[in-house]
Amino acid sequence: MAFCHHTDEAINSAEVNMKTRTGFLTAVGLALLALALGAIPAGADSMQGITDTTIKIGNIGPYTGDASSYSALNYGPLAYFRYVNSQGGVHGRKFEIVAADDACKETTGIAAAKKLIHQDKVFMLLVQPCSGVAMATKPVVVEEGLPWIGVSANPKLTTPTVKNMFHVTYTGVYSGRAMARFALSKPNAKKVILVAHTNDWAKGYCDPATEYMKEHGVEPLMNLALERGSTDATAQSLRIKTANADFVLGCLYEAELAILLRDLHKYGVNVPVIGALGADFESTHKRVNNPAAVKNFYLPYQFKAPMGSPDMKKWEDMFVKFLEKGELPENGVPTNFYYFGLPTAIATVEAFKRAGPQPSREKFIAAMETFKDFDTGVLADKVNVTHDNHVGVQDMYAVGLNEQGKQTVYSAWGKPLL
Amino acid sequence: MLPQLVVSGLAQGVLYALVALSMTMVYRATTVVNFGHGDLVMGGAFVVYVLVVYAHLPYLLGGLLALTILFALGVGIHQGLMRRIMTGPHLAIAMMALAVGYGLRGGARVLWGREVLPFPRIFPDHAWMLGDVVVTSDNLIVSGTVLGLMAVLFVLFNVTRTGRLLQAVFQSQRGAALVGLNVDAVHRVMWGVGAALAALGGVLLAPITLLYPDMGVWVLVRGFAAMTLGGFGTLHGAVLGGLILGVVELVLGAYVSTAFIDISAYVVVIAVLLLRPDGLFGQQVVVRV
Repeated sequence: MAFCHHTDEAINSAEVNMKTRTGFLTAVGLALLALALGAIPAGADSMQGITDTTIKIGNIGPYTGDASSYSALNYGPLAYFRYVNSQGGVHGRKFEIVAADDACKETTGIAAAKKLIHQDKVFMLLVQPCSGVAMATKPVVVEEGLPWIGVSANPKLTTPTVKNMFHVTYTGVYSGRAMARFALSKPNAKKVILVAHTNDWAKGYCDPATEYMKEHGVEPLMNLALERGSTDATAQSLRIKTANADFVLGCLYEAELAILLRDLHKYGVNVPVIGALGADFESTHKRVNNPAAVKNFYLPYQFKAPMGSPDMKKWEDMFVKFLEKGELPENGVPTNFYYFGLPTAIATVEAFKRAGPQPSREKFIAAMETFKDFDTGVLADKVNVTHDNHVGVQDMYAVGLNEQGKQTVYSAWGKPLL
Repeated sequence: MLPQLVVSGLAQGVLYALVALSMTMVYRATTVVNFGHGDLVMGGAFVVYVLVVYAHLPYLLGGLLALTILFALGVGIHQGLMRRIMTGPHLAIAMMALAVGYGLRGGARVLWGREVLPFPRIFPDHAWMLGDVVVTSDNLIVSGTVLGLMAVLFVLFNVTRTGRLLQAVFQSQRGAALVGLNVDAVHRVMWGVGAALAALGGVLLAPITLLYPDMGVWVLVRGFAAMTLGGFGTLHGAVLGGLILGVVELVLGAYVSTAFIDISAYVVVIAVLLLRPDGLFGQQVVVRV
């Protein structure tokens, strides 16, 4: 018995040792597996910003400085989160939005992002309208692995695909392609001229437009330069006139676009012009200050319906209800920028719904990658995100004046949205 | 296309000529190249913008007030800043001029950010066809005003006694002082007149283009190129240099590449300095020692 007892003890001891060793090996195995998978930091980091009742989100943008008008892109999402909170939140959690000012400056932006991540301990970053700042903070976002959904148009943010970064609004690539698509939808449009600034911003629109045209068998007739700060477009207008162009694509900032339109009209060049998404339709009209000169002027239009239509009015009502006085323009009427930032918040809320009651960074990212034909209710295109493609939207419309001089949204040349 | 380019280039060139002429006048009277001159043009444009858009004054009255305000500013710059360092090194004077320009630009940026502002349409929107050439009311009003002013200045300098006294200062400040002319007063007035002429450039530019705080940069570069092309320090050379530059920009832009439009002023400066440093109408100064 003693032996047996001894034997039993030995067996028990061996079992204990076996259990200990098995536990140790399991732990080592799991650790190695985690390393092998290159997993996003798990545990507390992965759940950072999530409590039983709240989800903390960093809303980063130029709240001050020269580019502060772009902060409207931050206020649109803010209104939506407040609306969702008023409906009870997602899975019992309400959104807590922490704003951080990047002043549209790279160094300030990096500091703002680090503060949100390390001090405020947010779950994710949203909006970031200034492309330069977003590019500057990208290494921080990639290193920390927290989800990022931005509106800045630089395609390099999400192409090639970055695990934790998403676009559910349009990048410059698709805006440029939309310009070309609209131009080529005009019957027999073959002679297309590009007028652009000689900077990366303009190339971001005109290069994809050129690519699209070439894919459809059309070579741009001419590439004309119109520099930033130019006050005259006589030479460009006369070359367009001499070439008898069918369409002009203007990869220009709003001021120079207005000068081109003004001079084309001055020299009697009656050619359709589509500008880049960086310009605002109504503001360009104001700058040209001559209705006859903008009769043939179009811009890419990213929304699903004309402003003021019932589809868009519901969002306007939401902005007015959930934003405070200083968060709305002085006249109380939200500009297009408010609507353009909105899909970042809509997609965020939807991803949290899909991620389930115990969200983590990994679950959120996985949920984002399930978006298939997801209708934001704001944008012209539906959101499609996959593991290999984090740029959710591509197609958009164009806006111009119809024959009665009324602002009209077109799906293609001569095809107004009903 | 060429006749149109020439007409449009001349219309653009008269503004360069005005800027170059006012810079030359200050330079001849005081030997200071005002590197802040472009910002005085911007200042004139923004003052008339404020008076017309915010204070709702008629354009003509707003323009005259802008000229008066900039005249006072020019006198103030001389009295408060330049006069104190006139005996110092030229580099210090140049830096002061640059600093004044940046100060004005910074002030405009504080008030308007980097906004690009449209001015209400003032001139009638007419266009006339002369064969294939389009001539607009903008062209005629701006060119007519500038050429009219130049004619007045020509008469003032060459016919009146005041003009001859000014020319005496232009030729030799020391000599003028020795015969009893108040050279300091001439400096004061010429700084005022230079700033007022710059303001006129801004007042005329405002209704035909867009306003932004940094607009003085391209104005300065073109004014400087026109001065260099015409012959540094010659009044008629500055005018002709401005007109030629306006045409060259458009012709190069249309026949060579539109990318040349913005760099043609720099190309002109380099070419003139290398090939004919005295400019097209300047004379080599020979000093007997």
